[in-house]
Amino acid sequence: MQAKSSPISYADVNNDIVRSLVVTGPKYYITLAAAISLTLICYFFPWFYQLYYGIGAAGMNHPQVWGTYLASFIFWIGLSHSGTLLSCVLHLTNSAWRKAMYRSAEAMTLFSLMVAASMVAVHLGRPWFIHWSLPYPNQMEMWPNFRSPLLFDVMAITTYLTGSSIFIYMGSIPDFAAVRDRTTGWRHYMYRLLSLGWRGTDTEWHRLGWAYTFLAVLIIPLAVSVHSIVSWDFALSVVPALHLTIFAPYFVVGAIYSGTAGIVTVMFVLRKYMKFEKYITELHFDNLGKLLLALSLLWTYINMLEVFTGWYSGESAELEALEYKLFGKYGPLYWEMILFCAVTPLLCMFKRFRTSFVPMLILSIAINIGMYTERFLIVGTSLSRKYLPDAWNSLYVPSVVELSILAGSVALFCTLFLIFVKIFPSVSIYEVKETLPAPEKGSPQWQATQ
Amino acid sequence: MASNAVGLFRNPDAALAAAGRLKAAGFAALDLISPIPLHGVEEALGKKSSVIKRFTFFGALFGGLSGFALAAGTAVLYLHPTGGRPIIPFPPFLIITYEMTILCGILGTVLGFLISARLPVIRERVYVPEAAVDKFAVTVSCESLERAQRAAAILREAGGEIVGAASSREG
Repeated sequence: MQAKSSPISYADVNNDIVRSLVVTGPKYYITLAAAISLTLICYFFPWFYQLYYGIGAAGMNHPQVWGTYLASFIFWIGLSHSGTLLSCVLHLTNSAWRKAMYRSAEAMTLFSLMVAASMVAVHLGRPWFIHWSLPYPNQMEMWPNFRSPLLFDVMAITTYLTGSSIFIYMGSIPDFAAVRDRTTGWRHYMYRLLSLGWRGTDTEWHRLGWAYTFLAVLIIPLAVSVHSIVSWDFALSVVPALHLTIFAPYFVVGAIYSGTAGIVTVMFVLRKYMKFEKYITELHFDNLGKLLLALSLLWTYINMLEVFTGWYSGESAELEALEYKLFGKYGPLYWEMILFCAVTPLLCMFKRFRTSFVPMLILSIAINIGMYTERFLIVGTSLSRKYLPDAWNSLYVPSVVELSILAGSVALFCTLFLIFVKIFPSVSIYEVKETLPAPEKGSPQWQATQ
Repeated sequence: MASNAVGLFRNPDAALAAAGRLKAAGFAALDLISPIPLHGVEEALGKKSSVIKRFTFFGALFGGLSGFALAAGTAVLYLHPTGGRPIIPFPPFLIITYEMTILCGILGTVLGFLISARLPVIRERVYVPEAAVDKFAVTVSCESLERAQRAAAILREAGGEIVGAASSREG
């Protein structure tokens, strides 16, 4: 990765990462203030408005009872998929290029999951009863129905959130210790607490290595199960265009696809604004571009299968739902999705494109716009084309409240991420050092240890 | 009186070689403190085994059993017959079992890690701050000052830059 000939020394890595944590310029505070303000104005204020006036403030009505809230829920869960999953896969396959980028990718997983969980609360008319989904003895003598995919969701997302949080924390313990020694005041106490007294002994490294590998092995099937379960929220319903066995792999591939695009966006921002050019290089964008290309082809194949299966079934309800999706009122959105997620990523065939930072950023944003559209179409076109034609005249258009909460969810994610980059070392100190040549007599690294 | 000897090295291979020599000279309470995980530690200091896998396995087993018990137990406590289907259906409950298996497997792994790595630290231990940046330290805990001096001599011979008692910090 950043190279055997690189003059970066171990101390440089410590200095650069600690600087990213403790040196904060006005740009950061302005961005954070803007993100917090947008979160309050676009996310919390419309939500409180909706709570006060009732769920009718959102544009949903029968038969469109899911709307953008559930589309956003699937989108954010999907975005969470590449971070920890990709990190685990690359850890087990011992890929060195993972090391500079995995921490931020895992953080993306964590915050996407938090935003996704909050979308469920927003979608509930009375979120203060959300604890009813938990199994506990209560005065109503009510127990949750574990046969429902919604309860599968509760279990899967809780497990994934717990697993991802633990995974990112465990991997950060040695870095917290390195930062602890370089900080003072409240930061020193915080990192002292977070590092648990890590010293870096051979025994500690050995235990961490094993535990980290076990976690990676456990989290890979977990991540696959999470989006499969989210797909079953839809596939287990008897609704044309949703009741398909392809849905689980379709959702998982889509999730990894949009998550990988999300990583490209995050890497671009970190590289440019946290000044990590030395660590996040063309190689990372090149490899992520190859991954995006492979995933886009897979995603396109599954989309073709979905259309083919619907057409080949010959069932009138399926055919009607299919025609509506491709050529109905939402047709332009479908073709926009195909353009952004199936056609444009073919540019990744060219190395020159993959190693160009700004074009890759634009592509990654386009893919995620396309993937949001995909989720909107899954929710939007299916419910408005069910068996009874009396519902067919409805055209669901999101209300201002829904659109505002969608924009606010992006601001919420940005706020969480901005706080993260000032607490967690966003590039792994010890793993980047592992990719550097060890200090040998006469080498630049040796000179740096003087 | 217990005493420590600490040797600081700028190269990981030199630190590993020094640790090997100390081991061969009969010093057992050795620690190799490094900024990165080192390859070849087991060759120098002997094979390590950990109990983490047992925590992972029994955590997962406990999770699987309790997950199924949770789903089946709630179904029995709140009977909800639908369409002649069984009260305890296996396919949906296996999903709950699966998720709980992984959740408790993860929690078990964390517990195993903390116990076997002896974290969080409660008592003060020898700590070398330079070893979190770019140095490699070999620390030896000895039961007497003479033994510590002997260890220090070996470390010095092996090319240790600073040899002496380490600052004892919370780590």
